[in-house]
Amino acid sequence: MESASVSVGHAEHEHHGPPEANQSSRIDRQTLGILLFIITEAMLFGAFFSSYFFIRVVANDGPWPPDGFELPVSVAFVNTLILVASSFTMHWALESIRAGNHRGLKLGLVSTLMLGTTFLFIQINEYIHIGFSARDGAFGSIFYGLTGLHGAHVYVGLTLLAIASVRAFRGHYGPDGKDHLGVEVPGIYWHFVDVMWVIVFTVVYVL
Amino acid sequence: MRAALTQPGWWRALFFTVIAGAFGFGLVIGLRAISGLDLFQTEQTGYPHIVVPAITAPLGFLVGIGCFDYWFRWASGAPTQPEDHSWHGATSWKDYFQVNTDHKVIGIQYIVTTFFFFFVGGLIAMMMRAELAQPGTQIVDPATFNGLFSTHAALMIFVFVIPVFAGIANYVLPLMIGAPDMAFPRLNALSFWMLPVAGVLFLCSYIVPGGAFDAGWTGYAPLSTGAPLGQSFFNLGVQFAGASSVATALNFLVTIITMRAPGMNFWRMPLLVWANLSTSLLVVAATPFIAGVQFMVLFDRLLHTNFFQAAYGGDVISYQHIFWFYSHPAVYIMMLPGFGIVSEVISTHSRKPIFGYRLMALALLGIVVLSYSVWAHHMFVAGMFSWLRVPMMITTLLIAVPTGIKIFSWLGTLFYGKIHLKSTSMLFALGFIVTFTIGGISGVMLGMIPLDIHVSDTYFIVAHIHFVLFGGSVFTIFAGIYHWFPKITGRMYDEKLGRIHFYLTLAGMLGTFVPMHWIGMEGMPRRVADYAAEFGGWNLEISIASFILGAAQLVFLYNMIVSWRFGPKAPSNPWRAKTIEWQVSSPPPIFNFDEIPRVVGGPYEYGVPGARHVIMPGESSELREPERSGVGAPT
Repeated sequence: MESASVSVGHAEHEHHGPPEANQSSRIDRQTLGILLFIITEAMLFGAFFSSYFFIRVVANDGPWPPDGFELPVSVAFVNTLILVASSFTMHWALESIRAGNHRGLKLGLVSTLMLGTTFLFIQINEYIHIGFSARDGAFGSIFYGLTGLHGAHVYVGLTLLAIASVRAFRGHYGPDGKDHLGVEVPGIYWHFVDVMWVIVFTVVYVL
Repeated sequence: MRAALTQPGWWRALFFTVIAGAFGFGLVIGLRAISGLDLFQTEQTGYPHIVVPAITAPLGFLVGIGCFDYWFRWASGAPTQPEDHSWHGATSWKDYFQVNTDHKVIGIQYIVTTFFFFFVGGLIAMMMRAELAQPGTQIVDPATFNGLFSTHAALMIFVFVIPVFAGIANYVLPLMIGAPDMAFPRLNALSFWMLPVAGVLFLCSYIVPGGAFDAGWTGYAPLSTGAPLGQSFFNLGVQFAGASSVATALNFLVTIITMRAPGMNFWRMPLLVWANLSTSLLVVAATPFIAGVQFMVLFDRLLHTNFFQAAYGGDVISYQHIFWFYSHPAVYIMMLPGFGIVSEVISTHSRKPIFGYRLMALALLGIVVLSYSVWAHHMFVAGMFSWLRVPMMITTLLIAVPTGIKIFSWLGTLFYGKIHLKSTSMLFALGFIVTFTIGGISGVMLGMIPLDIHVSDTYFIVAHIHFVLFGGSVFTIFAGIYHWFPKITGRMYDEKLGRIHFYLTLAGMLGTFVPMHWIGMEGMPRRVADYAAEFGGWNLEISIASFILGAAQLVFLYNMIVSWRFGPKAPSNPWRAKTIEWQVSSPPPIFNFDEIPRVVGGPYEYGVPGARHVIMPGESSELREPERSGVGAPT
């Protein structure tokens, strides 16, 4: 970009800006960055899953969930479908901007945002009606720990998508090259949040 | 005044810190008022009206100082100028107290900040040794002593050893691989500014009710879940330090993978780059575990969850498992970058190619993989599953193999080399090989279950950890600081003072930590303010030696400050090294290079006729010296 002045060589004038870095890998910085960040995030879930394992398998003798606890599996299943659907709308948004379709991008982002927000509200509603709190036994703690950690990630993902939407409505992003990374990178994160929910749902509600 | 509060800087940071702290305070009080609870909850582990502001105020500080300005502009959809370098480079000392996106400035910020905490942690150690000089309690009471050793370890580990390596690498690594900066300069700035926050949080625990956190740097539950308020500051400080090191590690990985100069393939990377690649892999995948487990402790303390409350179905031992999932890899996070530094120093100052370069790199990766499989050797006496002991012993002993490969390769590099014994960095590297090997051997001893059970929680453990962390990490840190001092400051340091520093440090270190093995074997417990009178003699000797060790660091401090200010100007390549950072001026130009250099060979080809590592812009690609290998060949 700005490296044009470099070609002047031994510069009679000092050029303002660093030389363009050599790209030594096929993957671009932003995508690699978010993938590594996702590894970190997965490991954070790993810490809570480890705790879940110890509480459920090592420290717990009786039935699981312990007597007196019941989880609304069907509500959570519907909620899972909502979140999975949001991954598809996210993909639609990205494919639209790759094809230069701004309208599709906006519609995709907004529907993803709405589906994600719906998921979060159903989750909060579930907390209100579930009948136990994080203080009720280790089961309550780890249930709220895992689903709450995931809820926080949904919130972060929604924030990133909201930023992408703001920029999309202001006319940023285009079909070529790196111009749609601002949609792609939050999109990768959103897919991670989605996949993580399927794992959390399977472990906490189903198994 | 209005400008001061809208421009990024210390005034705005102060303003936002107060605002955010007040917001956190108001939030807690307001929610408690709505819920009909007492406004102030002051039972031992509670104090939400202090803990929550302790979260929000640092975030306010980070926003105020300016770490997020660009991102906020970007998020609002306003036009941004990604190549705007107005926050780049430092022209006066004041620029080091601002948010700066230049990796060289950030490197210096890191190194100076971490050394500040090194000296604070060292002073705390001196206080402990003063107390331990005689049996009985003279200077501090046992409760204070618990706070002292906990803060000493927390400061040294989380805000000195781990980040100082990040600081050195921050300065050197982009230059070494021919990159103009790190991959994410603004994230890099944020990583740095989270660090003083962590250190200040640790130190703030001294002024809150109940005193400093005193459950050790390990903070085992249930001791930590029932400890006074200070423990929450430990939980929070670890979060900031951890976030800082994850962000830096991510940055290093992306930089190393995507921004190497043309021609620098993986087998031409200097070993410091390899070392930071391996370390960063460890940080990215392991650090979240300590973040997670400290969150759980904080929840148990503040929200009265039951993650570690056995009476309510929680599992106490799970704390130790999850903690060591991180903290065993963490000992390699604290060592691998040092391995990289030592490889650079030894090769350069003995004028020989690294012996077994590829195996050195692979050994690093081997350590990365193995380090995830040894965590439970810290828990042989914790009452964990007994079947896990023997597998953990075997993997622990296995990890000595890649480490041994590295030791032998350094010795192989030194063998028949032209060793510069007057060079301080070389002395520290040589001292490191000796002391780290001793620490490594006591580590293998500790891997053996029977011996570990015998010496658990004795001074043998203290001796071991200080041989690997002081004799290991800190020696490599000094080697690195002396090695790159001319590059970083543009001045030469005083070698004579450097040698005095080294010999005093070595003597003090051996005098302090060698006898700890013996009194540990005989059963003197660690983490106590008072001890049986029979250990009095050795403890007095240890205290005297530790004061020598402490005083020696003042020589270092004097040498660094005076040389930085008044030292003779350094040439660009005082050690005649081959790697790229030495081919640019000292200190390097603001954007590192006018044009990205081209790498044409390995980084350590000392004494190999005709070998070159790099062709700098403007240099001819012809060989600098005529080929010497073919004596009879026509020229």
